[in-house]
Order: sequence, then structure tokens, then C-alpha cells
Amino acid sequence: MKGFLLRLAAKLAAGLVMVFTVATFTFFLVHALPGNPGDAAYEGYVLGGMPPELARAKVSVVYGFTSHEPLVDQYLGYLGQLLHGNLGVSISYSGVPVADVIRAAVPWTVLPVLSGLLLSFLVGCTAGVVAALRRNSRSGSLLSLSGSLMAGVPSFVLALLLAFLFHTLWNVLPYGDTSDVTIAPGFTAEYLGSVATHAVLPVATYALLGYGGWLLTMKSSVASVLGDDFILAAELRGIAPATRMRYVGRNAVLPLFTTLALSVGHMFAGSVLIEDVFDYPGLGNLLLKSIGNRDYPLMGGAFLLITVTIVVANILAELLYSVIDPRVRR
Amino acid sequence: MTVTFPSVPAAPRPSSRRARTLRVLTRRPGRVVGLGIIVLFALLAAFGPLLYPGTIAVDPEAVYAPPSAEHWLGTDFAGSDVLQEVVVGARYVLLTAAVAALVAAAVGTLVGLVAGFRRGLADSGLMRLTDFVLTLPGLPLLIVLSTLWSFGSAFQMGLVLGATGWGGVARAVRAQTLSLRERGFLEAARGLGLPQRHILLRELLPNIAPYVAMNLLLSVIGFIGAEVALFFLGVVPFSSENWGVMLNQAVFSGGVMSSPEALTYLLAPLTCILLITLGIVLFMDAVDELFNPRLRERS
Repeated sequence: MKGFLLRLAAKLAAGLVMVFTVATFTFFLVHALPGNPGDAAYEGYVLGGMPPELARAKVSVVYGFTSHEPLVDQYLGYLGQLLHGNLGVSISYSGVPVADVIRAAVPWTVLPVLSGLLLSFLVGCTAGVVAALRRNSRSGSLLSLSGSLMAGVPSFVLALLLAFLFHTLWNVLPYGDTSDVTIAPGFTAEYLGSVATHAVLPVATYALLGYGGWLLTMKSSVASVLGDDFILAAELRGIAPATRMRYVGRNAVLPLFTTLALSVGHMFAGSVLIEDVFDYPGLGNLLLKSIGNRDYPLMGGAFLLITVTIVVANILAELLYSVIDPRVRR
Repeated sequence: MTVTFPSVPAAPRPSSRRARTLRVLTRRPGRVVGLGIIVLFALLAAFGPLLYPGTIAVDPEAVYAPPSAEHWLGTDFAGSDVLQEVVVGARYVLLTAAVAALVAAAVGTLVGLVAGFRRGLADSGLMRLTDFVLTLPGLPLLIVLSTLWSFGSAFQMGLVLGATGWGGVARAVRAQTLSLRERGFLEAARGLGLPQRHILLRELLPNIAPYVAMNLLLSVIGFIGAEVALFFLGVVPFSSENWGVMLNQAVFSGGVMSSPEALTYLLAPLTCILLITLGIVLFMDAVDELFNPRLRERS
């Protein structure tokens, strides 16, 4: 138990270092940008006839720091604001706090990522078991090849192929946005149906992307469990093949749960590309649009949240691992 | 398996090694196909731009023309030849991926070797760093970085990708070094009092090189994906002709998603990426068997 707590504390510390580094990086990056955006905004306000004090106050609200203080004070002020959950005010969403803009985008990333991940986990693991059992036959090696190939295909290539195939060439699925714009949002069957059909392509992309990785990991996990002594013992005792398969499956899938938690973070980072292809208003899309709009507070906030997600997924993986595998807890 | 008395194994003669390589390669036809694809694209990157000197021609009379004898893969939204764009774009894509893979392999090997060989404080410090690099949200980081520094040239892009992508190699090399440390020949080298540099460069490195080479080849796929993605997203200025720029223009200004006649235009760069992925995956199978002693000479 003590070792587990120690490891958890180490993960937590590493995570905090990560978040802190990313926050610092974005702060100094925005400062190093040609024509410091804070200064530029300030000059703009003053030129527009705003008194300097008011302009300074406004810049400080938007960026979380005023650009006329010493750099260290600005940096400390920015960190202080972050600790209070204040990410500044968005520029492109004129005056809306960054935290609110991000909160509105999060569900559109979380739902497709999680459903795609679940789907790919189920299909990939099942295929992995089959590939491991038939690893010396032609169908088994073809299955493994499909896994290696899918694990290597870049996400946007897959997304573009799916969109072009199922929308442009053979128009069976909608493409772009989260629902039909003519349908008013609400808890109506029509709206939810439209959201569901619009989610099919992004979710399918996430699912196919994960499939290869799960197949390959599950295959090698099953192959190693099959060589374990307890499986041989079960076979010698004459335990039915189906029961034995259950033993194998349960033990082989254990180490994969850690990877499952980790891959949530990776998929969040990868959402930039998929949401860009499908014009889906999630977190990744927000990050990309904020750069196009030179909305640096929003950019910093979205980047920070993606980082936090990865860190949390890491810690979750550590927790999950020790809950599932009792050998680690000691 | 026959048991023989332990004896000093003779170094394999070059001809027998070559024969074994050839035998492993031709055991499955897929491996030859994979090697063929890799060689084809390498040639394309080296000599492709020479086939089409000058700038890419624009023909406003033939927008989204279907494949014909004149335009084998049709034309794009500006009437340029798609085949020409794909061929000319290959050099940037492959050169960048090669630079990135080399940088990642060099940094990763150095970090992994030192961490695994020195152990102790250096090991834990370097592994913390490796974990940090591995958990960095790679693509978002590159997107954010692009606001400050437009790393568009092949060498800068390769350097940036390599500098953020060496974590996996370092892990693999460290694990390999740790297991090699306990082997007899290293113990002998240490017992003989050979200098550390000799042990690292002459004893450890040659044994680790195959794993690094495998990692290098596999990482090329990821680096191609990442660089093309950055151009596709449009966050890096279009400083050269490459597949990412093609895809960006196709989707965001060419309106490919609403024009089925642009089939070849969209599919050409995508197919190239898929083909390279397939080629490397198929060829890796042979490399795996060559270097992995447990798979060696089994069938």
C-alpha cells in the first residue's frame, strides 16, 4: 500500500510539473510573439480614444496580466489567476471568459472520444484474441497485418477517406457540424437523432484509429498468458476450453486497462485533426481556431486543458492499474 | 534443437549473411513488396522533382479534369496536374521524415544508453525527462509553437519533430541496455578493464543498433503523419510543395468534400501516405525476423 501511495504521489508531482511547464511555456510564448499581443491591444484601445488607465485595465482582464508591469510580476499575476481558475477573457468570442468558451466545447470532444475509444477497445480486443489463437495461420497473420496497418495510418488520412467515401461519393452520412442547423437544439427525438448521425463519422474515425493498437497489444498479451503455467494446469485438469478461454481473456485484458486510460489523453491531443476535418466544435477545433483568430488567451486555455486531461489520464491509469491488479498494491 | 558444446562462434561470413537476408526477405512475398514500395518512394524523393523542372503549370481550361493520357491522375481545382504535384511533393515529405527519424534515433539512443548503462541518479533523471517528453501533447504543442516560429523548412521541421519524438526510442534502448548489461561479454569487457567509451561504443552500440534501426523505420510513419498534418491544418506557412499543402488546399479551398469529381485529387496524396505505411509495415516483418533471435530460422 505504501509503495502504491508513493508511486501515486510521484505521478501527481510529475503531473503538476507538466501543467506548470505548459502554463509557463504559453505565458512566455505569448510574450515572445512579434508585436506582443497585449501591447498591441493596449495601443489599439488608446488609439481608439480610450483613456490609458481604462485600456490597461481592459488588457489585464483579457490577458490576465498588464504588459506595463515588470515581466516577473506579470508572470506571477498570471499564475495567481490560473490558480483561481481564471483563464482570461476570449478575444474572438468578444468578452466571454475563456473558461466558459472551453466548457461549451468540452462535451463535443469528450463524447466522441469516449464512445470511439470504447468501440475500438471492444472490437480491437476481440480481434486480438482471435489473432493470438490463430497466430500460425493465414487468417491470423492477415488480421495482425490489418492491425499494424491501422495502427500506422495517420488520423486525418482516415478521417478524410471516411468523409469522402460516406459523404461525397456515397451520400449516406452528414458531414460537418454537430447537427442539422435547421433543427432547434433541445431534448427532441429529431435533434438527438441529428446529433447521433452527425457523430457517426467522427466516432467511427476514433474507433478505427484505436483498433490497430488494441489488436496488437491484446494479441501479445493473450500469447503471453497462453504460455503461463496456470493455463497449462487448467488444461491438464481437463477444464473445458470455454472456461479456459475465460481465464485467458480475463488475465490478458488486465494490463490493457492502463493503456485504455492513457489513450484517453492521446485521443484528446489527436482531436485537433479529427475535429478540424469534420468541423466539429470541440476542444481541438477551439485550439486551432484560436490561433487563426490570434485569440491567445483562448489558445493558452485550450492547450492547458488538453495537457491537464493527459495528466489526469496518467494518474487515472496508475490508480486503475493497482485497483485491477492486486499484485501491484503490495 | 541439437545441443552442441559451447565453442567460440565463428563470425558469419558476409556471403552467408547476405544469403540469409535474402532468404528471410523472400520467405513471404509481402516483404519484397514492402521493400519495393520503400525503394520506389525513396527514388521518387531523390529524382522526382527532376522529372518536372520549373513550376507547376496551371491550366484554367481543365479544372478537375478526369484522368486522361495527358493528366494521368487528373487535375486539381486550379487545373494543375495531380501526378506532378504528388511526385514533386514527395521530396519534402520524405526528407523531413528522414531528418526527424535520425534526430529522434540519435537523441533517444544517447539518452537510453547513458540511462541504462550508468543507472543510479543519471538513470532516474533521464527517465523522468523521457516520461515528460512522452506525455507532452505533441500535436497541440507543435500547433502552439507554430505561432512563434514558422518551422517550415525540411530541416527545421525535421528537427522539431525529432526533438519532441525521441521518448519511445530512449525507452526501448534503455530496456535493451539493461538486459545486455547482465550478459557475459559485457561482464568480460568490464573485467578486462576496458575503457567506458569502448564498452559503450564497441560492445553495447552494435548490439542495440538493430533495435534502433527498427524504431527508426517505424517512426518514419509517425513523422510523415505529423508533418503532413501540420501543413494540412494550415498552421505552418506553405513554404514548399508537399502533400500536406495539397490536402489543405483540396479540403479548405478546393471544396473537394462537395465535389465527387475530385476523387483522384484527394486520393493521390492519401494513397501515397497509405502506401508508405503499408510498405514499412510489410518490410518490418522481415527486419523483425532478421534481428529477433526467437523468430530466427523457425520455419
